[in-house]
Amino acid sequence: MPGSESSPILVTGVGVTSAIGQGKAGFIEALLNGHSNFAAMKRPGRQYRPEGAAEPGAGATRFLGAEIPSFEVPDIVPRTVVRTASLSGQVALTTLHEAWNDARLGDVDPARVGLVVGGSNFQQRELTLTHETFRGRLPFLRPTYGLSFMDSDVCGMCTEVFGIRGLAYTLGGASASGQLAVIHAIQAVESGQVDVCIALGALMDLSYWECQGFRAIGAMGSDVFANEPERACRPFDKRRDGFIFGECSGAVVVERASTASRRATDPYARVAGWGVQMDANRNPNPSFDGEVSVLQKALAKAGFAPEAIDYINPHGTGSSLGDTTELRAIEHCGLKHAYLNATKSLVGHGLSAAGAVEMVATLLQMRARRLHPMRNFDEPMDDSFNWARQPVDHAIQRAVKMSLGFSGINTAVCVERL
Amino acid sequence: MNSQDIFAIVTRHAQEVVPGLENHQFRPTESLKDLGANSIDRSEIVMMTLDSLSLNIPLVETVKATNIGELVNLLHARL
Repeated sequence: MPGSESSPILVTGVGVTSAIGQGKAGFIEALLNGHSNFAAMKRPGRQYRPEGAAEPGAGATRFLGAEIPSFEVPDIVPRTVVRTASLSGQVALTTLHEAWNDARLGDVDPARVGLVVGGSNFQQRELTLTHETFRGRLPFLRPTYGLSFMDSDVCGMCTEVFGIRGLAYTLGGASASGQLAVIHAIQAVESGQVDVCIALGALMDLSYWECQGFRAIGAMGSDVFANEPERACRPFDKRRDGFIFGECSGAVVVERASTASRRATDPYARVAGWGVQMDANRNPNPSFDGEVSVLQKALAKAGFAPEAIDYINPHGTGSSLGDTTELRAIEHCGLKHAYLNATKSLVGHGLSAAGAVEMVATLLQMRARRLHPMRNFDEPMDDSFNWARQPVDHAIQRAVKMSLGFSGINTAVCVERL
Repeated sequence: MNSQDIFAIVTRHAQEVVPGLENHQFRPTESLKDLGANSIDRSEIVMMTLDSLSLNIPLVETVKATNIGELVNLLHARL
């Protein structure tokens, strides 16, 4: 059996691609400097334009969000793969490449490496563009659509390019997908299924259809700051009116210390505990009980008293009820003393990617011994919490990361400095 | 449209799909398979060609061709 059962599980590599930077160095620098990149979205397929309507004519949309300005797909990815890869696929390959090198996985037996891709239905914009291109001439639909419409195509591309043979699958958990993938990767290592497992939060590539749906259901802002995109994303602020989307992807490599020590790795943290709980609720509303439950489960599994936690990376989307419920849960669990900030205030809400990207943000802040500021936090909804409003020097010892999703999905993960 | 025009369309799409063929001097006797196109690549190249020609025929009819020249002749006969 690979690894010893008592050997702790570590994070040995990270990768990240976002609207404020590609790669961990650029990402943490942007976070600590409070950078953001919110605007009316421009990527093809993100806005609806009625036929013949002049922008911004009647019926045209103006959804806000943070789009990745540019990124470089690594040379290791064959051009034939790049040509037919969706944006989510290209960003996944790019993000995985960084994590792969960071954890020095080139020396690990490919049969002992796994990949869990967090997210489902994450290539929606590509599908919309394909449907528009071939509407009325279906017989000429490109044969590769038969592969690429499935999210699992990203697993296929990633395993082919990196030679992964242990396991690979996509895992859907709405906005908790990224962190759920992290938890499944931990469990795959814990059970001995693989020695090393990579959790990748896939870039959720929204089309105007999903944007409209999220607006219609009241989840996506912004009515209040429709004409000031840079002010619209404001988790935990009194004038928040919903989440603002942000393109991103994050990858986290987990393995036991016993395998990590065979290579020249530089681990980020120990994975101490985690919790998952469903609310038995199909709807998007949050649950105080569910959030309290996963916080308590994660702390109990880690063996941490609440006062031992000194940083919380909350789900913090900017949803009116969501942010209120989350603060209540944090307070109820005795965690009000811990520093907290909102990564989404800078990056936007990555939906399927959010949990993984924010875990990367947590680990990079731990390593930097500094917390990133919060954007648009003009009027805190509750001033009695220990907000990192401005950048602050703080060497995180023990952190908890919350990630929640529609359909009553609650998750929390505790990590500890080594 | 003559056979030479169709040959140019097929080879242009082959260059789009298969890396490394940018400066290749295509010959009708060469097969797409031997040039590095796998089965998915070949179906993509043929479909892109059919699209360029606005020629709506089942893909399966094109699999009889064993090289580029035969494919061109087959398509030309259906125009």
